[in-house]
Amino acid sequence: MELIIDNLSKTYSNGVKALQNISLEIPTGMFGLLGPNGAGKSTLMRTIATLQEADNGSITLGGIDVLKQKDELRQVLGYLPQQFGLYPKISAEVLLNHFAVLKGITYKGERKDLVDALLHKTNLYEVRQQHLKGFSGGMKQRFGIAQALINNPKLLIVDEPTAGLDPVERNRFYNVLSELGEHTVVILSTHIVDDVKELCTNMAIINQGKVCLKGNPLQILENLKDKVYKKTIHKQELKTYKQNYKVISEKLFLGKPTIHIVSEVNPGDGFSLTNAALEDVYFSEIFNNANLKFN
Amino acid sequence: MWYAIFKFEIQYRIKRPDTYVFFLFLFLFSIVGVDFIFQGSEMGLMKKNSPIVIAKTMGAITGIFMILASMIMGVSVLRDFEYNIESLLFTTPINKKDYLLGRFLGSFAVLLFAFTGILFGMILGEFIPWQNPEDFLAFNVIVYVRTFIMITLPTLFFGAALFFVTGALSRNLVVVYTQGIIVFVIFMLTKAIKNDLWQAILDPFSLTTTTFATKSWSTLEKSTESIPFLGVIMYNKLFWIAIGIIALIYGYQKFNFNVVKEKRSKRKQALAIKRSNTRKDLQIPEVQKQYGLLSKWTQLKQFSWFYFISICKQSAFWGIVICGMIIILINSVNLGTVYGVDSYPTTYFIVEELKETSMYFFLILLVFYSGELVWKERVVKLDLIYDATPMSSFINLLGKYIGLNLIYLVLMLALIGSGILFQTVNGYYNYEFSVYISGFFLEILPFLALYTCIAFFIQSIVNHKFVGVMLVILFFIINVALGLFGFDHDLYFFGGSSLGAYSDMNGYGHYLKPYLIIKSYWFLFGMLLLIIGSLLIVRGTETNLGKRLIASKYRLSKPLFKLASVVCLVFIAIGSFIFYNTNVLNTYWSNSEATDFRVAYEKELKQFEYIPQPKLINVNLQVELYPETRDYKVEGYYILKNTNSEDIKSIHIQKLLEENITLDTISFEGGFTADKQYEKFDYSIFNLNTALNPGDSIKMYFKQSFTTKGFESGNSNVSISLNGTFFNNTDLPTIGYNKKYELNNEEERKDYSLPIRMYSASRKDVQELKNARSGSDSDGINFEMIIGTSKDQTALVPGNLFRKWTENNRNYFHYKMNKPMINFYSIVSAVYEIKEDKWTSGVDANSVDLEIYYHKAHHYNVDRMMASMKSSLEYFSQNFSPYQYEQLRIMEFPRYAQFAQSFPGTIPFSEAIGFVLDIDDEKDVDMAFYVTAHEIAHQWFGMQVEAANVKGRLMILETLSQYAAIMVLKQKYSEEKVLQFLETQKEVYKKGKDREVGKEPSLALVENQNYVYYAKGAINMYEFQKALGEEQVNKALKRFLKDWNTTSGSLKLKMDRYATTQDLLGYFREVTPDSLQYLITDLFEKVKLIEL
Repeated sequence: MELIIDNLSKTYSNGVKALQNISLEIPTGMFGLLGPNGAGKSTLMRTIATLQEADNGSITLGGIDVLKQKDELRQVLGYLPQQFGLYPKISAEVLLNHFAVLKGITYKGERKDLVDALLHKTNLYEVRQQHLKGFSGGMKQRFGIAQALINNPKLLIVDEPTAGLDPVERNRFYNVLSELGEHTVVILSTHIVDDVKELCTNMAIINQGKVCLKGNPLQILENLKDKVYKKTIHKQELKTYKQNYKVISEKLFLGKPTIHIVSEVNPGDGFSLTNAALEDVYFSEIFNNANLKFN
Repeated sequence: MWYAIFKFEIQYRIKRPDTYVFFLFLFLFSIVGVDFIFQGSEMGLMKKNSPIVIAKTMGAITGIFMILASMIMGVSVLRDFEYNIESLLFTTPINKKDYLLGRFLGSFAVLLFAFTGILFGMILGEFIPWQNPEDFLAFNVIVYVRTFIMITLPTLFFGAALFFVTGALSRNLVVVYTQGIIVFVIFMLTKAIKNDLWQAILDPFSLTTTTFATKSWSTLEKSTESIPFLGVIMYNKLFWIAIGIIALIYGYQKFNFNVVKEKRSKRKQALAIKRSNTRKDLQIPEVQKQYGLLSKWTQLKQFSWFYFISICKQSAFWGIVICGMIIILINSVNLGTVYGVDSYPTTYFIVEELKETSMYFFLILLVFYSGELVWKERVVKLDLIYDATPMSSFINLLGKYIGLNLIYLVLMLALIGSGILFQTVNGYYNYEFSVYISGFFLEILPFLALYTCIAFFIQSIVNHKFVGVMLVILFFIINVALGLFGFDHDLYFFGGSSLGAYSDMNGYGHYLKPYLIIKSYWFLFGMLLLIIGSLLIVRGTETNLGKRLIASKYRLSKPLFKLASVVCLVFIAIGSFIFYNTNVLNTYWSNSEATDFRVAYEKELKQFEYIPQPKLINVNLQVELYPETRDYKVEGYYILKNTNSEDIKSIHIQKLLEENITLDTISFEGGFTADKQYEKFDYSIFNLNTALNPGDSIKMYFKQSFTTKGFESGNSNVSISLNGTFFNNTDLPTIGYNKKYELNNEEERKDYSLPIRMYSASRKDVQELKNARSGSDSDGINFEMIIGTSKDQTALVPGNLFRKWTENNRNYFHYKMNKPMINFYSIVSAVYEIKEDKWTSGVDANSVDLEIYYHKAHHYNVDRMMASMKSSLEYFSQNFSPYQYEQLRIMEFPRYAQFAQSFPGTIPFSEAIGFVLDIDDEKDVDMAFYVTAHEIAHQWFGMQVEAANVKGRLMILETLSQYAAIMVLKQKYSEEKVLQFLETQKEVYKKGKDREVGKEPSLALVENQNYVYYAKGAINMYEFQKALGEEQVNKALKRFLKDWNTTSGSLKLKMDRYATTQDLLGYFREVTPDSLQYLITDLFEKVKLIEL
């Protein structure tokens, strides 16, 4: 099964072009959607999740026309939105059971086993009878993924699931995701590059509503091999370097700015070759895009 | 610093649409405010802009819409918590005082702005074109502003303080909403306070306060004087302002400026510790997913229960339930009160009381929880997760709908519980659960369920909770208004008419079936609304209504489409069935059609009012009642006699204007031709082949039937019921023009340019002096009737019972009155228990059969009534004249009418008065005894002597009966009981006088003012008797009765007219010494105020 997005566009009533002719083919497996805040990731995710209308274009999953056959898609969909709340005075077990019914798991016995299993899986079994209002951010996110998985989805959409989680919680979350079968299309949107690197077999970078880059992370990295150089500089020099080089990222390292540049040849000038990271790819794409815009 | 926050609050609110919605809502409502608040109550001399009217209207509107104040004030602090900016805010260097003060003043300013809508709306209300200038004093803006500041402002401050503090402390929106209920409960509680002064001071809306402050005013003062602020109004306002300030101080001290509630962090820790082992090896089981109908059903059950439980978990809901239960316990202290005597707490009284007082609570639940439920997911931000699941929006919405209806059920069960508790406490153990069940589940629940459909529909379409709430309230008001304007056909008046009154005798009678059919019609309509709502409700992030409309076509799944089609078809089918019944089988009259008809009737037929017609002298009929199908057939003849001095060539016959009744045949001895010119008025003129000479008689044969066909719109005729038939001879053909069909509303008459109509003619009116009642067609009859009814019922009419038999599984009774009687008889039939006794006159040893026919459960006061029958007959026959008949019967009839009425030897008596009174001889007046005595007195004043149909007629009939009954009461009980009774009459008089539009007449010239002929009459006659002595008064009455007796009175026959008050007062004068003659003038001929 493959999710095909073809020429999808969406302009909001306030004039913001959230999606501009997006076309993507997303095979089964983990797919990372990278992009800065406001790039249009959530709009795209919501449109795929049948929660928003598109102006034009189409989305299909197998034989399902997502924009029209919403109910059919919802039957095979798991969705974890970027932000969500929980009823405060209800326990995890009750609410998860409720979602199971919503998603068509109506045999009581089966449902109970399933809910128990998912609570174990997401490590919430011990607290299953506690009211949800006491849940921490990590527990809440794990609950979110439990409800998304409960109907054994063919398409799983998780929108920035790790924002605000501590590293331990993040790992725990990824463990759950990574165990998903090979029959599921998983779209993971994030602005954290490492998430994609660690989990995804395919990825795309979108910015300002457009796809800048798509492909396999390893291949993409291959393209930048031996082209990224780094140097630690003084703050005052930053401007000069930006004028002279294609600076794709600037980071503080021990309090001093460290810049990465892309160059086909060794620029000398104190730069040293460094291993291209996915982050560099991301920043270079964003950078290019931004430049394009300002030029 | 507080000023910055104040400014921020104002600026924020200026941008919010709610602010203007609130203002506009109050503004629009207030335009018709006076009419709305005072609708149905007589304003008397007060004008629509009299200061007291303005004060009451402003007080009431402020009170009713206190809930808006809670919506404005309550959210002020709450908002910071809802939007999670409290941590940003509370860490800035503002202090608690500035924060709270700024917020309070800011939102209070906005509140004031919104409520000035009342001020401007009411002012504008004076100038809308359809107002009648006569209803107004000269426009004076000061009165409005002054009243607003005096009445509304302090109430608003109190409300604002209370709502602000509860909002800030509870941080829970629903708690804030329910504050309105608390204030309402306080208001109801103050109504139970017996001390008028305290009641006036404690009334939060100052409605009773203004009444109290103007208690001693004359009607003219009430019309023009401005309300005095000093005195009780000031105390009232100071009291509530003080409560407001106390609330603010309390709130200030309790408000915690820390963000995190401590409890919460503890729990989190506890949770964190528990996280432990993970099970890596775990396999997630494969499960089946179902999307068929069965799974929809499971989902529906799940949703309903889930949402039901979610409301049950809110303490605000239980607050409402407890308030509801308490209010009933306090409020139902006075049940079914007749002249200060309470009734037994029979279940239907309790149910009616519960329904009346709890309506507000149900409406609050309906209006706010429908909003809460529709918005439930969106408020906690779970909507996207829900919306991405394959659940059907319809099933979800329907689940919420059912959940809310279950909530109503909980409140209903709680109310029933408190009703039973109330009955038990009062020592009444006949609980009648079925009456409780049907009262709530048949009457209130369908009403709520239908309006809930509307509320859900509106909330689904409008993407703004508060606007939705406003629209729901607006819909309520508009629908009520449409009903009042006569836009009330069951097919298009939303929800249809309410279920007719419940009677112990007749249950819901024949009302129930059409009610259920009409309710199911509207319920299907409600279902369609829910389906449409579910197609349009926001799902996902698309909120634009246009886009939702476009997207809705992909939402209409096949099963839903099928359901909608079926619902739609059944809706149309039932609608057609209703139309067939109300408009094809029966004729539907809109209000204006009915008015036009009356106008035409008067214009075309008034010419015949006094044309010479023969009088009825003999009635001989065979009546077949079929209570189970609500039909009857009447067959027989009248004998008509020409009592005029000229020949009569044509006889005018009016059939009752009632569609179910048909005059199947009619014929006159000696041949005739019928003139059908006025057939549309059911008025026929029969030209006799040979004229009827003076003194000659003619037989008129006729056959009339009453046929029930299907059902009518609105509540239909109750004269023939399944159990408890009661109608009188005016339903049978009458002779000549019927004045009762004329329009009597002054305004309407003016609009149709009809002449001004006097209720009664002058005492010099030659025509009416010969009539004992309006359009009378007889001076007395001989009466004979054979009547058949169903096997379990007893049928009763005046006369001696000659024979009684059973034939064709029906009961037959043959009655014949062995002496002339007035042409006024009732036909009664029901299932009865009988109490029998005999009374023998001490004067002439005549023996009279006493019978009381009563509903089995209503045995409480039968002995009292029987005692009254004996005492009354004894007293009246000794002091006035002998009793003329050989029997006296009391027959109970259903409470569709609430009176007792005297016919020759028979007294139909409503089950609502007397039969269920809970009389405590220590503290109450025995009203069952009294009312019976009054009705028996009519056997003299009404049957023996009739009064001419002119001014003062009702003094002769009613005032004298009051006097007679008081004397019997005095004899049987005591002078104290009489005085106690007269106290209640003073109240009745005072209330009636306040409502009087015209001038109060003297007793001698009284028309239809019952506060004069009943209440003032009783008081004045008592005073007269006190001064003159009972014996003297009785002597006068004895002479009066003798001379003016309808059949044998010497003066009556000589003068050939009926008695007037002038005649009566003559007899009074005869027995009054010169020194007291002035009393007669003062008490009966002048309008002298009663000292209260």
